[in-house]
Amino acid sequence: MSRLLGVIDATNVVGGLQDLSLNRSVASIPFAGRYRFVDFILSNMVNSGVESVAIFPKHQYRSLMDHIGSGKNWDLDRKKDGLFFLPPFFEPNENSTVGSFARLEQHLDFFKRSHQDYVFIANSYVITNIDIEEALAEHLIHDHDITELVNHTHSLDMYIVKKSLLIELIEDRKNSQFISVSDVVNQPLHNFKIGTYTHSGYAAIMKTIEAYFHHSMKLLDPVVWNQLFPADRPVFTKVKDEPPTRYTAASTVTNSMIANGAVIEGKVDSSIISRAVKIGRNSHVTNCVIMQKSQIGEGCTLEYVIMDKDVRVLDGVTLKGSPEKPLVLRKGTVRDMAVSI
Amino acid sequence: MMVKKKCVAMLLAGGQGSRLQSLTTSIAKPAVPFGGKYRIIDFTLSNCTNSGIDTVGVLTQYQPLVLNSYIGIGSAWDLDRRNGGVTVLPPYTEASGVKWYSGTANAIYHNMKYIEQYNPEYVLILSGDHIYKMDYSKMLDYHIQNEAEATISVVEVPWDEASRFGIMNTNKEYEILEFDEKPAEPKSNLASMGIYIFNWKALKEFLEVDNVNEESSHDFGKDLIPLFLNEDKRLMAYPFDGYWKDVGTVKSLWEANMDLLEENPGLNLFDHSWRIYSRNPNQPPQYISHHAEVKESLVNEGCFIEGKVQNSVIFQGVKTGEGSFIDEAVIMPDAVIGKNAVVKRAIVPENIHVPDGITIEPEDGSSDIILVTDELIAKLRKDVTA
Repeated sequence: MSRLLGVIDATNVVGGLQDLSLNRSVASIPFAGRYRFVDFILSNMVNSGVESVAIFPKHQYRSLMDHIGSGKNWDLDRKKDGLFFLPPFFEPNENSTVGSFARLEQHLDFFKRSHQDYVFIANSYVITNIDIEEALAEHLIHDHDITELVNHTHSLDMYIVKKSLLIELIEDRKNSQFISVSDVVNQPLHNFKIGTYTHSGYAAIMKTIEAYFHHSMKLLDPVVWNQLFPADRPVFTKVKDEPPTRYTAASTVTNSMIANGAVIEGKVDSSIISRAVKIGRNSHVTNCVIMQKSQIGEGCTLEYVIMDKDVRVLDGVTLKGSPEKPLVLRKGTVRDMAVSI
Repeated sequence: MMVKKKCVAMLLAGGQGSRLQSLTTSIAKPAVPFGGKYRIIDFTLSNCTNSGIDTVGVLTQYQPLVLNSYIGIGSAWDLDRRNGGVTVLPPYTEASGVKWYSGTANAIYHNMKYIEQYNPEYVLILSGDHIYKMDYSKMLDYHIQNEAEATISVVEVPWDEASRFGIMNTNKEYEILEFDEKPAEPKSNLASMGIYIFNWKALKEFLEVDNVNEESSHDFGKDLIPLFLNEDKRLMAYPFDGYWKDVGTVKSLWEANMDLLEENPGLNLFDHSWRIYSRNPNQPPQYISHHAEVKESLVNEGCFIEGKVQNSVIFQGVKTGEGSFIDEAVIMPDAVIGKNAVVKRAIVPENIHVPDGITIEPEDGSSDIILVTDELIAKLRKDVTA
């Protein structure tokens, strides 16, 4: 039985992703053709044997709740432990960093009641495939108070902390002035023993549209693909029952990642195509990320475009962004005129 | 006490399907992969769910391990229900001995207690061998409107093929007058699809009669239907005009897969109002490499395609190497096609590895379809090195 309690702090606002998080929480931003951000960390936890996971959402969590449901797709609909969705009683005024004490305090009972001794605290904007058991082993060997998970020189904003210490920190927050686990780690003046655990695999820190685009394109590198999707540590997501992807006689596809239920009649190169996307004849889609159920008509040209869900591009429209500044089309919009940046 | 059900479905899934050769050595025919991500039984189970039938008994006998674990508690088809849902019904032993299912009707006879629990008005008999989409609730309405004791779904087949089927001779109103099993000189081209609706009361009575008849082979087509006709019961044919295919042979299984690749396929997998549900393999999206070329094909998730693929159906987790060429082929889950290998007009079963540089194709002018086996590959490798 795992000694770890998993916590996903999905309360952080990531300003740089605003275009993709207008109607949804960051945790439910689509990625890699068929996933949402949260799928990765949730699957990491499940694959590491974590049996009890709490998600702390911020506002607009409908899409997140719809995606997660009972947790069944992650094998987390359990009689004992399982998935806990812990919404706010009220939104604390302050904008916090990962492991917000003000938010965790609202569900302090949850921590007190659970039988696990250690807490793994993660965020919703880092995508990686990591063995958390290994990080816990390091934490125990070095007898840290808090272990911070890092990748190269970057913090992954993920932490392991003993549950009793976490409860103390939460209860003492007004006195100590610490606002979050992340805050404790980053403050120089205290007596806690802070250590690090280095994760050497691929990690995508998604704080801006540029990072989102960069990491989406990196998926086309088989080395990265294999690090994010190793066969023995699968990434689980909500099942959609889409049929296989259909390629017609007119389709030409190279260097792309394509999800199920798509119908490809045009030319696609170096792009990520999500579930149930339609790409019409004589359309050219290059260096793009096309999200679920978007439809591209005939004779369109798209370069460096991030297209959110349910966008419709009418026949003959040209849309161009640039490698430095991809063009983002918001969810549910219809495009009938050319745009170039 | 179970809640009463208007209609209970009984799905016959115990057949071997020996004409599918090595594909059914270790799995039953209904578990054979189809259409890039499905198993044959998905079509019937999805039809049940989409028709609002929530109580389905699945009768298994031959090699049931894969089928049983695939069906599980039925959640993939939304058949994990508090009242009803899916129940796998294997043969069992009783005080008098082991009761193997000796025929389709006999399998139902042994599970009368299962049906009785729900005290249904009607029983729908299905087989897990066919590829089609059908709204059984419309057939049930037809059965009720016509005040029939039994209704048999029929499909028009080409006259020159009619002698391969169980043929229903009817009057203009589709009332069945005669049943001819594989007639040498067919009088009609209405073939039975192996889908029956019975009034449970009548079926129960006739199952009892048939069970004590030592001459009987205990088969619905051969024995039960003639019994109903002899007793002047009202039997109706329900004409179905959609896509329906028996995938009982390697060739017909291959053809049915190829049918999906037509511009407007008879069976549309992309219809969101009639989804075909299946157990999802949960693999990442497919990757199509720099050098790949994919045309007129269906490709499922988890594939890594580096070669050329055309007119083919590729299941989940398949890898194809650089320079490989796949044409008019069906590549089943987790098969690997090596570099510069060629596979044409063939079915490559699950987990088969076609080594680099091997060519698999029928002889010139042959209309055969090759079912690839480990033995065939061993032979081809020898030929290459010889």
